[in-house]
Amino acid sequence: MTRAVALALVVAAAPALALETQVLPRGAISLDLAYLRTSLDKQWSGDRRALSLIDELPRYEPGGGLQGILRARPVAEFDFLLVQALYGVTDSLSVGVNVPILMRSTISTNIAWEPGDYQPQLGRAYSLDDFWSWAQSMGQGRVPDRAVDTRFRLADVVLGAKYLLPRFEWMKAHHVRWSAQLNVALPTGTNADPEEAVSVGTNLWELHAAGDVELHLAADKHFFVDEHGVYRLNVGADVFYAFFRPRLYEAGRGLRNPLLNNNAFYVGDTYWIDPGDWLAGTVSVDAVPLVGPTLATIVSGNSLEKAKALPPLLTVSASFTYVATGQSDWQSNSALWDWDREKVWQPGEKNVFRFTGTVSLLRLGLPLQLYASYRSQDIIPGRFTRPANVFTAGVRAVAKFW
Amino acid sequence: MKRFAPLALLTAALLACQPATAPSTREHLVVSGAPYERGLAHGTQLRSKIRGFYTTLMTNSLFPFLSREQPDIATLLKEYEGEKYLGGRFAFELLLESGRSIERSLGRAGRDELRGIADGSGLTYEEALILNTFVDTTLAVRGIGLAIRQGRAPVVESVQLLGLEADGVDNDGDGQRDEAGEGTLTPYEPPFFAAAVEVDVSTRLRVVFSDPDGVDPQTVRVRVDEGLFTFGDPALEVLELSPTRVQVTWTPLTPLPAARPVTFVLSAGDRRVIEVPGPPRASFRRDEELVVTTRGAGLGVRELSRPALTDNRTRPPPFTVAVRGGRAVGGGPLLAHSFALLDANTAHKHTVSILHQPDVGPAFVTVGWAGIVSGLSGLNERGVGVSCNPSDTLDNSVVGSVLDQVADLSRAKLVASGLPATYLVRRVLERASSAAEGAEVLAEGNPVYGWNCTVADDRGGLEVVELDSDVFKQGQGGVLRYGPADLSPVSMRRYSSLTDDDVVVGSSYTRNVDDSITLNLAGQRIVPQRSWSGFFFRSRRVMDAVTRRLAARAEPVDVDWLKAVLVEPELVDRSDSMNAVVLDLRGRVVHSAMGTVPATSSPFVATEVRR
Repeated sequence: MTRAVALALVVAAAPALALETQVLPRGAISLDLAYLRTSLDKQWSGDRRALSLIDELPRYEPGGGLQGILRARPVAEFDFLLVQALYGVTDSLSVGVNVPILMRSTISTNIAWEPGDYQPQLGRAYSLDDFWSWAQSMGQGRVPDRAVDTRFRLADVVLGAKYLLPRFEWMKAHHVRWSAQLNVALPTGTNADPEEAVSVGTNLWELHAAGDVELHLAADKHFFVDEHGVYRLNVGADVFYAFFRPRLYEAGRGLRNPLLNNNAFYVGDTYWIDPGDWLAGTVSVDAVPLVGPTLATIVSGNSLEKAKALPPLLTVSASFTYVATGQSDWQSNSALWDWDREKVWQPGEKNVFRFTGTVSLLRLGLPLQLYASYRSQDIIPGRFTRPANVFTAGVRAVAKFW
Repeated sequence: MKRFAPLALLTAALLACQPATAPSTREHLVVSGAPYERGLAHGTQLRSKIRGFYTTLMTNSLFPFLSREQPDIATLLKEYEGEKYLGGRFAFELLLESGRSIERSLGRAGRDELRGIADGSGLTYEEALILNTFVDTTLAVRGIGLAIRQGRAPVVESVQLLGLEADGVDNDGDGQRDEAGEGTLTPYEPPFFAAAVEVDVSTRLRVVFSDPDGVDPQTVRVRVDEGLFTFGDPALEVLELSPTRVQVTWTPLTPLPAARPVTFVLSAGDRRVIEVPGPPRASFRRDEELVVTTRGAGLGVRELSRPALTDNRTRPPPFTVAVRGGRAVGGGPLLAHSFALLDANTAHKHTVSILHQPDVGPAFVTVGWAGIVSGLSGLNERGVGVSCNPSDTLDNSVVGSVLDQVADLSRAKLVASGLPATYLVRRVLERASSAAEGAEVLAEGNPVYGWNCTVADDRGGLEVVELDSDVFKQGQGGVLRYGPADLSPVSMRRYSSLTDDDVVVGSSYTRNVDDSITLNLAGQRIVPQRSWSGFFFRSRRVMDAVTRRLAARAEPVDVDWLKAVLVEPELVDRSDSMNAVVLDLRGRVVHSAMGTVPATSSPFVATEVRR
């Protein structure tokens, strides 16, 4: 209970575009509004076991032995609003901005108690209520069973550019595309509050969503492509390196939680976290079970031929991403304190599955796409990471200025 | 291949981030020179750990914990209602005032070393002073608090083992059979040895508890070996004799086991619930232990060995076992020490052994904690080793300070004075060339609190020194010494030895049994250790447990055997174990296990005492 719940969410890489190499046509603009519901209730150990997000916490009566063991199994749920905009600078280059806003966070601590040694002065071992009563007698308030924060808070804004690389002839012949993408995050998110017993920050490291700088190299191969360039099946791949910049944090002074968040004296007023970088790869499959109907509407300039080149009515996608995470390095004045944190952020991995369905109404004359996705890190356990599961629903408006 | 170079570089960069490794929770320092220089080296090299230890142990644990005592203490000593002590500063100010008082006994060298630690670590001098004096001060203040709490808890008025007056057996070892009162302990005095021997397997136990606030029958608890009997149990008859007295009679529904020791554990709470400081609770009598033997055991009252208790209500306190001559391989001598007191989930992360190489005097090694000048055990290059165990007493310097101010309690304060045990250990190591000299150093030390120290040397010298502050001027100067061969004038038996070449020392007095006089001070009852200390029965039991092992060992004892004893689960406090040490006096080697809790989960590490 003594530390803020550092969370691993996924907000940045919302499924705005299904393909790995998708770019917008020149002059096209896409506005995307998505709701993300994220839940997190465990962390993976080094041997892939599911552990509580917070280590069990033995509490001791000074000289009186073990009072008991606090076992929290926190469940963190987050509601994000994600606003994205993409613009096709050329037919090969798109730029975008991704603005995540945390609308609501709910952390249920789910604290359980295992009684410890017999306490002669009590005539019993401590119960959970006894423990909190004891803590309150020393000025430490009870940690709430449920903490809800409804303040709107900005996370790190991400700027991105994707460039469709020139294709070799064999690529064109085999419907293969490749692209490079650079994402750069602006430090608009916040750190966890050092004085709160339960707190979450909104920067990319705390959300564990994406790197501060990411470099992607992706490729797609279409199958069953019709004469309008619309495919029925696509197989894609993406490899990326995510760099995290070191972050400066303030240590707690026990202003609100004198016994739980008071470490500045030995940790230092501030400390650094070098999160460690990621190296990752994704494979994806997109299938098109339903292409039409297709209408000549204003969206296609009343041209049926052009309408048939618009995205299909229904696309379903599945992807798997493997992320190798580097060691996170705490740098404070106390190596012991650093290690208490570093030990759960050792080099590890995430195994991320995502399933997406996209309904595109462009062929019907509405410049909208609706999508929903579910992203899970539970299917294949990871190591030294925190698996967030994310449900996303969004709507995307696409327009082109001629 | 060239085209893959960037990817290879990226991969290499990621893989270059090696997993972090855990920092060591035990350190070893070698410090040389004058006291300030050694303190500075200590403070500088362990700066981070010292600050961490101070924050996690003192600021975040002990200060708020001790501050809980403020309301109780302020009811008696009004000075503590003053503004200086408000706002959570009670414990800090109390410990600082005692620290400043103790500081006068430390000598210039002691103060210089503290100043060096402060300068090196970034603690203030006052913080370094508190870190080096809090153990004794806290023990004394807590001792007073515990005695006060026991004073308002139900009292065992009498204990009666029914039927012993007519069983045809001498049950109390007085040479008489079935005399009047045989089997009755009235007034009740906690027994050092067996409460009775050779009792019938159907013997009933009757206890009367009394308390001015009334005894709550619901809280009465009788444990008989592994069986627990509480209110409502058919074996337990609870009768309210009056609003302030309750009689409890336990009747065995099945016979007691024959020809062996049986342990009774008794407790009860009163009817007054104390709300502040939380949690709400009654005042409970500590667990009173009575051990008897059933018929056929064939043991005398003083021959009984207390069995282990496995009810998760008791933990073994610190103990020492030392051997020499024929009891030790090669003549030894060897001294083993298990120290457990206050880990608070932090002390074990801040352990340190320090080899001191002073300008003057012998080199020595202490086994202790970051920022603390010494430990509770150590060995010098002259082959003198020492260990100390706390021994609760109200004959301590803090009680002495109240007695000095008894004429006006409205202005009285709790102020410790004298030498903390860590400094006693240091002085022995700095000055002694033999066990006898070490004992002399201890005897001159004027301790802050009660301690049982064992001193041994490489020529076979071995002495136990039981210390208190002698505030009641009982004629012994607060010092009672004995060796393995010394006999108690009362029992004509050894104090705590099996032979002339071994000794087992616990955390209760063996010779200084009347450590305190009995009197009332400002409405509070001052009594000897055995009547209130939470260590008393635990200590008696751990001493017996160690003695049993020593008795069963036919061959001479070596270092490995002692290590094996120290790690035996029955002898390890799993919550507050702080270090385990074997001193090889002749080999000048300190074997210490620490850095985990319990300390004995760590391997023993050998440290030579050499310049």
